[in-house]
Amino acid sequence: MSTKIKNILNCAVMAIMVFGFCALFLLLPKAEFLDSERREPAKFPEVTLESIMKDGLEYGESFMKQFDDNYTPDNFPFRDFFRNVKAWVGSNVFLQKDKDGVYVVDGIAGEMQEEIDEESIAHAADRITFIYKTYLEKKGITPYISIIPDKGYFLSEQNGYLSMDYNEFIEKMLGSVEFAEYIDITGALEASDYYASDTHWNQKYLIDVAKLLVDGMGGNHNSTYVENTLDVPFYGVYAGRAPKPLKPETITYYTNENMEHVTVFNFEKNKPGSIYDMERAHGKDAYDMFLGGEIAKLVIENPNAKTDKELVIFRDSYGRSIIPLMIDDYAKITVIDTRYQIPQLLLMGVNFDNADVLFLYSTLVLNASSEMK
Amino acid sequence: MLFSSISFLYFFIPAIILLYFIAPKKLKNAVLLLFSLFFYAWGGVKYAAMMVLAIALGYVFGLLIERFRGKKISKVFLFFAVASIISFMLYFKYTDFFIENFNAITGLSIPLLKIVLPIGISFYTFQIISYVVDVYRGEKAQKNPINLAAYIAMFPQLIAGPIVRYSDVARELETRTHSFTMAGEGTRRFILGLAKKVLIANSMYDLSELIYAAEEKTVLMYWIYGISIALYIYFDFSGYSDMAIGLGKIFGFHFLENFNYPFISRSATEFWRRWHMSLGSWFRDYLYIPLGGNRVPKWRWLINIFAVWMFTGFWHGASWNFIIWGLFFGVLLVIEKFFLLKYLEKSHVLSRVYILFAVITSFIVFQIPTMGEAFTYIGGLFGAGGIPFASAETLYFLRNYAVLLILALVGATPLVKSLATKLSTSAKLGKVVNVLEPIMLVCLLVVVTAFLVDSSSNPFLYFRF
Repeated sequence: MSTKIKNILNCAVMAIMVFGFCALFLLLPKAEFLDSERREPAKFPEVTLESIMKDGLEYGESFMKQFDDNYTPDNFPFRDFFRNVKAWVGSNVFLQKDKDGVYVVDGIAGEMQEEIDEESIAHAADRITFIYKTYLEKKGITPYISIIPDKGYFLSEQNGYLSMDYNEFIEKMLGSVEFAEYIDITGALEASDYYASDTHWNQKYLIDVAKLLVDGMGGNHNSTYVENTLDVPFYGVYAGRAPKPLKPETITYYTNENMEHVTVFNFEKNKPGSIYDMERAHGKDAYDMFLGGEIAKLVIENPNAKTDKELVIFRDSYGRSIIPLMIDDYAKITVIDTRYQIPQLLLMGVNFDNADVLFLYSTLVLNASSEMK
Repeated sequence: MLFSSISFLYFFIPAIILLYFIAPKKLKNAVLLLFSLFFYAWGGVKYAAMMVLAIALGYVFGLLIERFRGKKISKVFLFFAVASIISFMLYFKYTDFFIENFNAITGLSIPLLKIVLPIGISFYTFQIISYVVDVYRGEKAQKNPINLAAYIAMFPQLIAGPIVRYSDVARELETRTHSFTMAGEGTRRFILGLAKKVLIANSMYDLSELIYAAEEKTVLMYWIYGISIALYIYFDFSGYSDMAIGLGKIFGFHFLENFNYPFISRSATEFWRRWHMSLGSWFRDYLYIPLGGNRVPKWRWLINIFAVWMFTGFWHGASWNFIIWGLFFGVLLVIEKFFLLKYLEKSHVLSRVYILFAVITSFIVFQIPTMGEAFTYIGGLFGAGGIPFASAETLYFLRNYAVLLILALVGATPLVKSLATKLSTSAKLGKVVNVLEPIMLVCLLVVVTAFLVDSSSNPFLYFRF
């Protein structure tokens, strides 16, 4: 091929690309929701004289900046294809192990947690101690604490990624709340017990963890369940950030006959709640189906429980998927998330009589605990 | 608007190519001007109006200087032209710097004006100055305001250079040819420049930011920081110049080269012959030579040298670190001139080690905003403070960016270019290269688009220029 033809071809490929994608951008309908990133794409920015005239320090809010930085990348034709190209080039050409701290090992995505945040541990311990001193100590209740390691515990160091010392982290945390009895669940978990594309653990693999917790608090967990599968694909938080494409997953959830007779009350909205919220299962984040998403206070009552004991559980989002597996073991479970309300408000009407008290938190929340009130 | 953006690639480029090439010859400069104004106004409408005013001043003063050429009044017009045009830059770029330093000296606390610098002001100011000075020196003034405005505001070189001299494009402004050969070469240059910016420069920036944010630094980290910053600035700047030269070719212009593999230099003198050549030659022709150059007593020559390098640094940003950066090179050049150059010429290895170390050190000063911190980084290169040599974090960063670092280091030498030239001129492989080139370009454009669509960082180096 002659140089002249090569130059014509150079022009042609450029023209096909820029004119072609320009036309596709203008003609193709825009996505309502970016499934793999679990978010809505940026909308066309408001065109007003004010938004066009913004410059200098206000330029970030201008029509032009919004158009450049948000609207065009979010709505570019075949966005997922291009994101996969970037991921492929990053890991196969540039041989980069992670993308903005997120990595994939054997199809499972994790995130590097490098630093132990001492201040965060101190804050979390302070909040737990407050609850203990205010509500439990006088009643002679010894609370339980269990720490859920994030996936980095199983994946990071073993695969050459930067990692904090999880054992040191757990030791530091436990050393700050020595009044609590520790239930170690780390031995019952492995990386595959978590969703590959999400931070959370997968209820499908949590029956043995539930048994450890219940038995650790003096119970005897021996429930049986029916396995159910959600009919929508699940994309976790890493799906949009991982350096390699991640397959959509399936959410599995357990039910049994007892669950059908359980009542759930949502104190935040002052209305009945549900163990598995099917409306939320079909929403933006299918994991929100567990106990209806982030709700500060829920009470689950089970008239057919094996015992008349109660459980007061302080938890983060991980707790939502394991609590349904503990329903058979308690007549009443009060589920508290102090990230959304102060404990004084959430614990009104909770008397802790005949109750086990469990603090169940993940390393992710304990290491970034500023939201705990 | 940034070249490295979806809006530019997939809206601006098709629109201007379509309208420019269907426009009749006599309207092409008008189309170029309109799109250039739109391109600039995209970053701030008011700033575009200000640029139009600066162009108008350049146009009027150009005509007046030519009209009264040879008379004293012509010099007065030149003075007012330069003073009025440079006053824009002084106000927007340096007011807060002067207030800050005045406050520091006097103990006063005059409030800062918090003026935001219009992008590209330093580039178009220098182009207008070069135009009026060239007219004063005998170049024909441009009678057609659209042609002059199209030259000054021409979007390919407006925000990041190269600083195109009027005399270099005067003929092409009036009459130029377009061909598939030029457009094809321009396309290749543009896409390669875009890839340099998006794939290499942005990655080197990310690496430097990771290290900047690391809490426990090591000697090796400081070295990686220095190397990544030097590579980031080089690939960003030369990538933008490649894009400008490529776009220029598509529209029928031949802009002069701006970078010529500066990291293979063996002295600071040579480095500046290869680095941002359009700026170096601008200062030579419009400041150094008018000051007397080297045809003056030695003490005066030294003043000229340091003045030029101080202003070179100051041009890059209104901050002491830029002034020190410029003066640092001034000092090196003087030392080389007096005695070092002859020793450097004798050793291929030592001379390269010397200039690479000097460049890395200088870019640490260039990039880090406070001098105290910059000195900490320079000290860190030698383990100052008893820091460890490496850590698990250091080795992880190095491992994670190893391929990109190697690509950048190789790409900063003429190795790839000379290999490509050899292959394309080879009788056997030339045809294969010709087939592969368009395929490689489309692949690069797809990858660059992917990095822009899923962009996590797209730093803009020139916001302080």
